Amino acid sequence: MQWITLFQKELLENWRNYKWIWVPLAIVLIASMDPITSYYLPQIMEAVGGMPEGASFELPDFQPSDVVMMSISQISSLGVLIIVLMSMGTIAGERKSGVSELILVKPVSYNNYITAKWAGLLVLVWASLFLGMLSSWYYVNILFGVLSFISILKVVFFYGLWLSLVATVSIFYNTLFKTPGLVAFLSIATIMLSSLITKIFGQRFEWSPNNISIYIKEMLVTGSVSADLLATALITIGIIAVLLIGSIFTYKTKELAN
Amino acid sequence: MTLLTVENLSKSYDGKPAVKQVSFQFQPQKCVALIGPNGAGKTTILRTLSGLLKPTSGIVTFNNMNANDDLRKHIGYLPQYPVFYPWMTGSEFLVYVGKLAHLSKEEAMARSEELLSLVGLTEAKNRRIGKYSGGMKQRLGIAQAIIHRPRLLMLDEPVSSLDPIGRREVLTLMEELKKEMTILFSTHILSDADEVSDELLLLHQGKIVEKGSMDELRKKYQTAKIELSFQDESATYQSKINSLPSVVKCHMERHTLHVAANDIAAARKEILMAASADNWPLTSFTINRTSLEDMFMKVVGN
Repeated sequence: MQWITLFQKELLENWRNYKWIWVPLAIVLIASMDPITSYYLPQIMEAVGGMPEGASFELPDFQPSDVVMMSISQISSLGVLIIVLMSMGTIAGERKSGVSELILVKPVSYNNYITAKWAGLLVLVWASLFLGMLSSWYYVNILFGVLSFISILKVVFFYGLWLSLVATVSIFYNTLFKTPGLVAFLSIATIMLSSLITKIFGQRFEWSPNNISIYIKEMLVTGSVSADLLATALITIGIIAVLLIGSIFTYKTKELAN
Repeated sequence: MTLLTVENLSKSYDGKPAVKQVSFQFQPQKCVALIGPNGAGKTTILRTLSGLLKPTSGIVTFNNMNANDDLRKHIGYLPQYPVFYPWMTGSEFLVYVGKLAHLSKEEAMARSEELLSLVGLTEAKNRRIGKYSGGMKQRLGIAQAIIHRPRLLMLDEPVSSLDPIGRREVLTLMEELKKEMTILFSTHILSDADEVSDELLLLHQGKIVEKGSMDELRKKYQTAKIELSFQDESATYQSKINSLPSVVKCHMERHTLHVAANDIAAARKEILMAASADNWPLTSFTINRTSLEDMFMKVVGN
């Protein structure tokens, strides 16, 4: 009951501050840009002045799966940035402004407070990702060739886990610090560092969440969910759970005023 | 019956003590003022009692409360500068915190309506809080603090930042609330404390330096003095008054003679007798009670 109240407030807040409009729009834009520009690349080149005399330019023959992965890779950079920036103040900002002093002197359970914030954020992230991939799928289908709806749903599911991890990292730093800018910086630094470590020690971190898009691509090509993908997905879920429990724990032991 | 017992409460920030070994008890249905200069530790005490800060040492217990009961159910708290969600309306905010305090949706809505009219915000209830004035926010703050009918209401400097009209509104509201719950409020404005509180806790440098009811403290620190002024030069009467047996000291300040005496009744009698015998041209004769201000200076000075 209390959890629902907190969750509804998150949804209402994100609606009133237009996050429910601009975040999905931005993700749709990011996801559908590459399919369109890749298809119209020859015309674009022509329009901006064409190639020098005698130069020949062979466009690769894009498979639908290649194009979907282009969208994913755009979301991996710009989309992640959007998620971090829009979530950097969700708890930190409330502490900084002082409104949490009113909320947390009410008998509010910290479990409810943190998990409702987390769920409110995740719903927005998943809805945006779904709409983004839906638009990518639409353009892929009309411009590059048939890709089944089921396979795009699978992409959304597995890639959504990665974005959930990004959102959870941000929530975790939100409970540690009350400066939104610092939260954003540390979230991005953490994601970059984990990707660096995964690349350098690739052998040992085969199932690192950073690798999930590699396995998603494999899934699109082969059409089946590999054991590697499942293992990576499970590890991602595990890390999310640990971070979430860690967030609740830090909030419980923390002094909420200063 | 005591409502709340605080034993040896201490709180330090990074090793710097802000509150030192504070102990006190509250009776129900009393209005207690926490008085002290800025930095005396008033806000720290309120925040510790509200659970926002964890005490470095000491125990806070509520009467008839189980060990694992959430203390926050029984308290309402208004910080000095309450901040709300500016995108919510006044009414939405009250319903929201009401539901957080485990009221059902219907209860929360009925209670919000009731409180909005109590604090005079019925007309503004559907306006965004971002558009409220300072006084309106303070009143909304009080409403949110009492939505779950707490047994103890804590207000941190509830009137200090308000203009005279807002101040009057809040003080009247506190008079009203006093009938239903115990109020603990902090202030550095002594006349506000004098006006609404039954008991005082005087805080100085993190310690309680004096406590008691208004009357008790008055009696304890009472040093009445007589003020006299004359039609002609007051100085000529100073030596005459000084020679009276019950007068301890007589000094002049801006044409007025200030007479201190241990037995004020005897001094009054002697002065008035001398005045009528010699036909002194008295223009005023006043017995002044010690003000809260004097008392505070005296306590803190020691």
